[in-house]
Amino acid sequence: MSSENLDVFLPVVIMAVIAVVIYAGAIIASKILSNLNPTPQKQTAYECGEEPVGTAWSQFNIRFYVVGLIFIIFDVESVLMFPVAAVFKELNEIGHGGYVLIIFLSFISVLLEGIAYCWKKGDLNWVMSYQKNKSGVK
Amino acid sequence: MFIWVLFLISALLILGTSVAALVTKNIMHSCIYLLGTLLGISGLYITLNADFVAVTQIMVYVGGIVILMLFAVMLTGGKEFVSKGQQLLGLAPLMGSKSTYVFGLFGALVFGGIFAKLISYIVKLPIDSTEQKIQSTVESIGKLLITDHVLAFELSSVLLLGALVGSAIIARPRRES
Amino acid sequence: MNSTVVSFFSQFEFFNDAVKSLSETLGFNTYAAVSLLVFLVAATVLTIVCATIGGLGTYAERKISADIQARVGPNRVGPYGLLQPLADALKLLTKEDIFPANADKFMFYLAPFLCVLGVFTTLAVLPVSSGLTLTHLNVGVFYIIAVSSLVGVGVFLGGYASNSKWSMLGGMRGASQIISYEVPITISIIAIVVLSGGMSFEKIVSSQGGLPHQWFIFHNPFTFIGFFIFFVSGLAETNRAPFDLPEAESELVSGYHTEYTGMRFALFALAEYVEIFVLCAVASTLFLGGYQLPLPETIVSKMPAAAVQLWQTVIFFIKALALYYVVIWVRWTLPRIRVDRLMSICWKVLTPFAIFNLIGVSIWMVVFKGESLLKIIFH
Repeated sequence: MSSENLDVFLPVVIMAVIAVVIYAGAIIASKILSNLNPTPQKQTAYECGEEPVGTAWSQFNIRFYVVGLIFIIFDVESVLMFPVAAVFKELNEIGHGGYVLIIFLSFISVLLEGIAYCWKKGDLNWVMSYQKNKSGVK
Repeated sequence: MFIWVLFLISALLILGTSVAALVTKNIMHSCIYLLGTLLGISGLYITLNADFVAVTQIMVYVGGIVILMLFAVMLTGGKEFVSKGQQLLGLAPLMGSKSTYVFGLFGALVFGGIFAKLISYIVKLPIDSTEQKIQSTVESIGKLLITDHVLAFELSSVLLLGALVGSAIIARPRRES
Repeated sequence: MNSTVVSFFSQFEFFNDAVKSLSETLGFNTYAAVSLLVFLVAATVLTIVCATIGGLGTYAERKISADIQARVGPNRVGPYGLLQPLADALKLLTKEDIFPANADKFMFYLAPFLCVLGVFTTLAVLPVSSGLTLTHLNVGVFYIIAVSSLVGVGVFLGGYASNSKWSMLGGMRGASQIISYEVPITISIIAIVVLSGGMSFEKIVSSQGGLPHQWFIFHNPFTFIGFFIFFVSGLAETNRAPFDLPEAESELVSGYHTEYTGMRFALFALAEYVEIFVLCAVASTLFLGGYQLPLPETIVSKMPAAAVQLWQTVIFFIKALALYYVVIWVRWTLPRIRVDRLMSICWKVLTPFAIFNLIGVSIWMVVFKGESLLKIIFH
């Protein structure tokens, strides 16, 4: 009952096309059915009734970037773990389960050390504070 | 048939968005066109039957690296995202300037020549009417990672640890003393 | 291994006869054209069903929240207020599309599209039943996590493009929340992949049984914890209370979709509700047995194929909608979590628990050869 050519990916492309159709349809329908009457008051950004001061595109705190960096590392780690996890059960049944377990656990433990390091050094805190240097002086 | 359609869609997406990423003057738009390019590359991987690599591409690149690049651009201070046209040392072409088009044209001629050579090689192949039977690549990748390339697998975890520690050290706030 | 709707139908005589007669009348091999047509019809039906569930989700949210808060909720439009989502959709269609003067036009238009794309492409592998799923990709569950990360980009762009400080803050917080909580979700999914021996939904569901004691949630204590890690991280991933800081009404004036009006806002909301449904569907497939019928194998093999598929679909929707009710229930019960505690919950609680979960499941696989706890005790 399995399909052995690349038609398995056809629904993915079809659903992407359906998403485009839904978006385009919604925009076109609203263009037809609604009126368009832009005034300066409607077009300013909403700030609970006050006039907005300055632009919003200012420099942001570095904590967002640190979260993104740590996420990338764990993302790549989990991507590497997926194929090994997928063959774990099969190899376990023919008896090589212990060997795969040792490989798997050594991979995870290295990254567990990484997260322990980040936790201890305070990189996982949302509010980042200055680090003490070795003599204890801030 | 489906392979050709998907290849055409992906190739057009890649070409269009990568040219747009080079030509636009706004760096945030560049990041978004890069997202389109990476999605197109993932489509190409599907035509080559590398389903695991295609989904990895979406997960790591589109879901992670594009967001990281957007955060990084926001971090560098966002008064002006539009490039003004001052060249660096007079050598490197700036986004959207005339030299971008000139270099792009030369690059297109070179790659067009290579492409034509490849096409001439492909169309001389005998016509095969039966489609290849495909097999999923996940199990083979898993088994190879454990048997042949286990050292690379373990060393990649050490490499990721190094990257994690390095980026954490760089991103820590430092008191200027 | 990889089966699709078309390969399921091609088991049956009537499908093959129809293709053969169509080929004879038209003169060429119409298998590809017929399969494309079947895929299109099935995809459209599934999209309409899921979009309706998304729309009714808004209605269900208002009714259930009214019930929890001891009031009545919408009851004017249609019987018991059931046509309320239709009224909302028609209202949003006729609202003016306000485009802020200083906003970035390209990204303003692109942000809802990315959210809609990220959510609707996950419907292609939704495990509705063993035959009627659009496609049982071999990388099924991995594909769903990968494509859901497009929603994070959409949230960030929505916040950035509006050029309003509320939106920008909501967008950046939303994007960092979504990417952070992907880590515990992915690691708890790896634990289930270890137990079931494959990433395809078909394999995961067939490793479980239909009765509750055969589900993965009761397989061993690690998967029990894993279910809650997955569920809580999924709530945070879809920006759902108590993790809804990016769109908190009292704090950020609706966050990253403050400046969106009309149909674009409707698309953001639709994408969110369908994403919650997909999350509940994936949780019920991975941990609660999916579409498996709670009947012994001997009875199932005697039933006609159409009945089996129908009952599997019904069971799938019952489980997914039960979890949907729990998601709505949690929203109106718990208070909102502050942003720094939100991040520390992810990185200091959920991720270490998920990693220890994974280690525990791997050791269980080797030591107990993958047998469930109840089988070990009662043998």
